[in-house]
This record gives sequence, C-alpha cells and structure tokens, in this order.
Amino acid sequence: MNSNRQSLWKRIMGVRGMGAALTAFVGLVIIYIAFGLINPTVFSGQNILNLLRSMSKYLLIGIAQSYVLITGNIDLSIGTQVGMSAMISATLMTSGISPAVAILVALISCLAVGVINGYLVGKFKLPPFIATLGTMFVTRGIAYMVNGNRNTDAISTGVGKEVADQFQNFFYYGSTLGVYNTFWIAMVVFVIFFFFLSKTRSGRHIYAIGSNIDAAKLSGVNVVMTTTKAYLVSSVCSCIVGLILCAQAGMGNMEAGNMYEMYGVAAGVIGGVSPLGGTGILLGTLAGAAVWQTLENGLNMIGAQVGIQRLVIGIIVVTAVLLDVVVRNGEFGKKKKKQS
Amino acid sequence: MKDIIVSMENISKSFPGVKALDNVKFELCSGEVMALLGENGAGKSTLMKILSGVYTRDGGRLEIFGKEYGDLTPKQAQEAGVAIIHQELNMCKHLSVAENMFLGRELSGRFALDNAGMEAKAREVLDDLKIDIDPRQTVGDLPVSKQQMVEIAKALSINARILIMDEPTSALTAREIEDLFRIIHKLKDDGCGIVYISHRLEELQHIVDRVTIMRDGQYITSMDFAGTPMDQIITHMVGREIKEKFPRVECEKGKKVFEVKNLNAGRMVRDINFSVYEGEIVGFAGLMGAGRTETTRAIFGADPKESGEIYVDGKEVKIHCPMDAIRNGVVLAPEDRKKDGLCTKLSIRHNLALPNLDMLCNKLGAVSSKKESELCDKAVKNLKIKTPNVEIDSGNLSGGNQQKVVVGKWLARDSRVVIFDEPTRGIDVGAKVEIYNLMNELKQQGIAVMFVSSEMPEVMGIADRIVVMCDGRITGEVMARETTQSEILTLATSFEDKNINSR
Repeated sequence: MNSNRQSLWKRIMGVRGMGAALTAFVGLVIIYIAFGLINPTVFSGQNILNLLRSMSKYLLIGIAQSYVLITGNIDLSIGTQVGMSAMISATLMTSGISPAVAILVALISCLAVGVINGYLVGKFKLPPFIATLGTMFVTRGIAYMVNGNRNTDAISTGVGKEVADQFQNFFYYGSTLGVYNTFWIAMVVFVIFFFFLSKTRSGRHIYAIGSNIDAAKLSGVNVVMTTTKAYLVSSVCSCIVGLILCAQAGMGNMEAGNMYEMYGVAAGVIGGVSPLGGTGILLGTLAGAAVWQTLENGLNMIGAQVGIQRLVIGIIVVTAVLLDVVVRNGEFGKKKKKQS
Repeated sequence: MKDIIVSMENISKSFPGVKALDNVKFELCSGEVMALLGENGAGKSTLMKILSGVYTRDGGRLEIFGKEYGDLTPKQAQEAGVAIIHQELNMCKHLSVAENMFLGRELSGRFALDNAGMEAKAREVLDDLKIDIDPRQTVGDLPVSKQQMVEIAKALSINARILIMDEPTSALTAREIEDLFRIIHKLKDDGCGIVYISHRLEELQHIVDRVTIMRDGQYITSMDFAGTPMDQIITHMVGREIKEKFPRVECEKGKKVFEVKNLNAGRMVRDINFSVYEGEIVGFAGLMGAGRTETTRAIFGADPKESGEIYVDGKEVKIHCPMDAIRNGVVLAPEDRKKDGLCTKLSIRHNLALPNLDMLCNKLGAVSSKKESELCDKAVKNLKIKTPNVEIDSGNLSGGNQQKVVVGKWLARDSRVVIFDEPTRGIDVGAKVEIYNLMNELKQQGIAVMFVSSEMPEVMGIADRIVVMCDGRITGEVMARETTQSEILTLATSFEDKNINSR
C-alpha cells in the first residue's frame, strides 16, 4: 500500500515541469490561507465562486501564451485579439445577427490572425516580438474600426433581450452545478489543450521546437506547421476570452483585453513555463493563473489599492523566474554540473 | 567477405574562393572502422557532410550500398542508412530519451501518443547496445557521454548502417571512452560501417581497421592500420612543403615583457606558464579545441580565472575584466572577428574609437570628433585599410580589412602586449602578409606579440618561439627554426594518458 502510493508519487513527480507547477500550487494555498486569516470573507462561498470565475479568464489567456512560450516564441497580439473578438461579436449581435454566427465570425477572424502569426514567425523567421507586435496593432485597429471607432450599444438592442440574456448567461452570469459557466468553459478548454499538448504528436513537436529547433528540424518536424498550431491555440483561447468579456459587459468595448498578453506571460511564468521555450506544463499555468487571481482578490479583500496589487504581482513574477534561473544555474549547489 | 558499402570517387567541392575538396576518393566496407585523418581544414568534415547530404558536391560519383546517388538530400541519406553523430550534440534537451529517439516519427494510438510503446522500443534498442539509460530520463540531465549514446541509439533505431562519428571522444572521460569503444565494437560485429574522425591518434589502435588520410582537400592515401607506424601516418598528414613566403624580421631579444604564471581557468586552461620577451613573437600552435583561445580570453579577463599571476614589464597586474587588461597595456584581437572583434553594424570610425573613448573625450565626457578623426586617419593610413571613408559599416569590409580594423582599435594605445588569435583566418594571401608585417612592426617596437594560429606553416614562418598546447595544457615549447611540423603535431596530439582498455 505504502510502496504503491510512493510509486504513484514518483510517477507524478517524474512528469517534466511538475515540480514548478506543484511549487506554484503550494504558493497558492499559502497565499489563500494567509489572506483568509486576515479577512475570513476570503473563505466565503460567494468569494470562492467569484474567484473561480475571474481566474478562468486568466487561465485561458495563460494557456494561450504558454503554448507560444513553450515553442520559444511570444504572442503579443493576445490582448488585442481578445478586443477584436469582443468587438466583432458585439457589433454583429447589435445589428441583430444571431450569437452563433457572431461567435463563428469572431473565431474565424482570430484564427486568421493566428495563421498570420504562425507564418510570419515559423516560415519567414521574423522575430516573434516584432511579428506579433505588428499583428497586435493591426488587430487593435480592426477592433476600433468594426463599429466606427466607438464602443457598441448593448447587444440586447439588436438580438433582443431574451437572446442577449442567453448569450450572457452562457458565457458569464449563468451557473451549472452551482459554479459559474465561465469556469466550466475554461475547464473544458483546459482539458482539451492539456491533452493536446501532453499526449499528441503535435504537442510533442511544440516542445521539441522550443527545446532545439535545429534538432527538431533534422528529425523531420515541420517547424512552420508546429509554430502555426501553437499560435492557433493562442488565437482560439483569446477569442473565447473576448466572448466572455462581451458577455460580461453586454456590449463591445474597444479596449477590451488591454495588456492581457502580459497577464498571460505572468500566469505561465509563475507556473513554471520558461520564456526560453521547451519547458512548462499547463497545470503550472493553471496554478499561475490561480495565484494571480488569489493575490488580486485577496489584496482587494484586505483593502489594498490597485497600485499595491500591481506592485506585488510584479515582484512575484520576477521572483518566480529568478528562483528558476538560480536553481537551474545551480547557485544552490544542488544541481551544480561540472563544465566538461 | 566484407562488402563495399560506401564508394566515393573524384569528389570535388568548392566554396567561394576555396577549393575544399579536389578529386577525393573514399571507400568504406561493412563491419569496419575507418579512421579519417587530416589536419584542421583538410576537408574531412566537408567530405562527410557530402556523404550525409548536408552539402551537395560539385562533381564525382557517390554510391551507397551499391546504389548511385545524384544530388543527395539529408533525408535520402538517412533513408540510405547514413547517420552523423555530431560533434555538438543535436538533441532536444528538455525531452526524454525516448521522446528524442522517436522525434518526428512518434508512435501514436488513435487519440494519444503511445508513450509506453515508444519507451519499450527505446529500451529494446538501448538494451541491445547494453546501454544503461532509462528511456524516460530527460536528456538534458544526462552526462554528455550518455547523450552521445542516445544519439547513437537514435541513429540505430532509424536503421542506420553507416555511422559517422566526428571527434566523439573529445568530451568523454576514460571510462566513457571505454563504453563508447565497446559499442563501436558491437556495431562493427553487427556489420555496420563506421567512419571515425579524431585528432587523438593514440586512441585509434583500440578500434580502427583502416585509415584514410586527407590533406588540403586532397586524398593522400588509405591503408590498413595494423602494422603502419604512427610516424608514417603523421608524415602523410603534414607532408607538405611550406610554400607561402613569410617575411620574418630579425630582432635582438630584449628583456622580459610579459609573463603568465600558473594560469588556470576551467578544463581548457590548465597550469599555463609562459613568457614573451622584447623583440620576439611567440606562436601558439595546437589543434582546434586545444585551449588556446580559452587561454587568451582568460589572460584578457574576458573569462574568469581560477588562479594565476600575470606580469607586465616585471610588475604584477591584476586582470579581472577586459578593462583591467586594456589599462595595463594587454590587448586582444579575438578569434571570431564578426562575433567578438567588431560591432559589424557600426561604422569603422565608431569601431576604432570604441576602446579609446577615454582618450578621445573632453572634460565634460563628450567625444571630440576632431580627435576621433585623427585617430581614424592614422589607423587607416598605418594599416592601409582599404575603404572609401571611415563612415561605412565595418561589416561591409572584406575579411582582411575587417581584421585590420580589429587590430587598429588597439594601436592608438601604448600597448605592451598584443595577442592575436587566428588573425589570418579566412583572409586572402595579400592581406595575410600585411598582418604579418604588422606583427613584425610591433615586434620591432619592443612590444610582446602572442600569435595563436592553427596553420602550422605560418606559425613556423612568423613566430620566433612556439608554444604547443593540447587539451588545455602546454605540452611543449620549441624554437621555430629548429623544429619540424611532425614535432609540433606530435606535441599537439600528446593527450594525457587516459588508460584506455581495449575490449
């Protein structure tokens, strides 16, 4: 019995990136309990539900950015794709088009951006920072242009109150089994992309090109396709977050998703995804997103101002990476490798 | 009966300005280990890159397992059974052993990857080779030797029958080399053909059946290894006349200018002791990877030292970073011009001024463009840098002129010691002579010149005294005019005895 449990533990710890992910989870529990001790409302059922819902957005953004980070690239256009998705779906709905069609158009637009990102980086070898900086501006521009440089009216003015409520409940306000739908949506997406990354050939190739692109190429990995797949996953997640924001506000906001790409980097990095590529698991990203939201929520609950929240998160991100660098370089003496 | 599995005839290959291979012949049989020998730049790697499809040849016939190939692509070569075990290992360090072995041709169930299946197959191949590695281990956590074995196992799992090993033992310890040799013996018994490239002549006796010797891009000879004296092999490797003219200048040897005592910096710089006198050029010879560049970098403070004392004009100087070195009159013209020597995207003017800004600034810290221009004009004139003006990007200059800019950076200062690391690599003969003349001028001015070069004729032609390094240690010191290439090559290959046991 005991040995059985041990081997399971061993198997879990044998998964690459699990250490960092579990560390983030431990951090999460500590932070949560610490805030709860200061203000017990943190432990209340309603607060947990709110926490799960707000965390879901950051989880999706984190998945988006983690996929790209693992290939050794970055996607700066995540936040603007969120905005574009929100504006396109809202604009279509305010003009009376059904949510299903609106969602489809938003999705196709985001996928197009993903393909462009993938080709610019994978095929034309543009530095990902520059390529996605370009698509970032372009997609924000489109978000502005869809409704003539202004936010949309309430979506109920187009599709009617009933349909609008349905849409908003599905993505944000409604609950299933007592938990907000947003959380379930994020969980479904999480499970699908967790499986895709850890269990499929494409997922394996995503790690491989992030680890050593030349070795991957020489082993017959299609670098262009693999890069594009990572950017497409990023676009799908961004699109969904855009729909969630649209549902939350009941309208389209041109600035929706501002800075989300950076929140994505933070969630991934806190959970152990290396910005240099090749390492990290989505479980870590889940923990990272949770740490982030727990911090924001907890600091809110104890009455800290927004400035402090940002400041603390900044310190946590740097500390997480610093810890990683220090451990990897063997500064602690534990993993020190002799140069040979 | 052993079959011929690779046959290459009249292979030629040119790169812009260089004839890398000239009518080269090469033959490999099944079940044999063929050593491919030659000095640096003899064309060994180029030939093997043609065999593995990385380069396309300009002419000649290539047959693998009796089948003739035209333009061979890397993929075709792989399918034909050719695999290279690279000098720099080419693995995804974050992935596991099994994942690396099956990268690009993963086994898959209907929905998910068949990890268990791949691990089992990987284990089979590893067990077959009697390699004790868990296929689930992350490659980056393995020691280099094991990574290399994973690469061999990967090659075999794609049914490679012709393995090319380029300096496979350079990073291994004696035990690990034994392991590798055991595997090579096994592959040989299984009928694989192995091409073995190595500078460590003493280890050949444990595994090699035949040798092919190349020199200056040409095929020299092949012969059975057993019964051939090592001297004869070395003679074949170096046996050329020194054709180029080297303008040597005679100077009176003066007092000691520069001395390095007990310098240690990592594995490639071990217990280095030497000195340079006024009026002499000290050459540093050795094979690639002998630790010469590392030594220059450690002296210059570009890499950290573990221990060691450095004296300039009899006074001890402390050098912790390049700035310390420059202030004490020790300067370095590094090996890789484009990477370490120049800011290729800056103008010649800015490059020449960069290390001398302290002298060019006025009291407010602003760069005086008048002084800058004076410095540049002087450098262009003295070094005969061929350029329309000093404002063009240094990256646009020819190799020889780039090298002159690298050197020119230092001549404005009162340097006492100038270190040249491979100053003539990749530049044409005319420019080479100009660099030699420059070194001679410095020598006449009483400046200590340290001259690192892998081209033996030029070291022997220009330097007065030659220090030979091998594997991070100084293995000998010879007077340039009393030595022979064979003597230097023997010193350059006298690796520490690692007590290798044959099977």
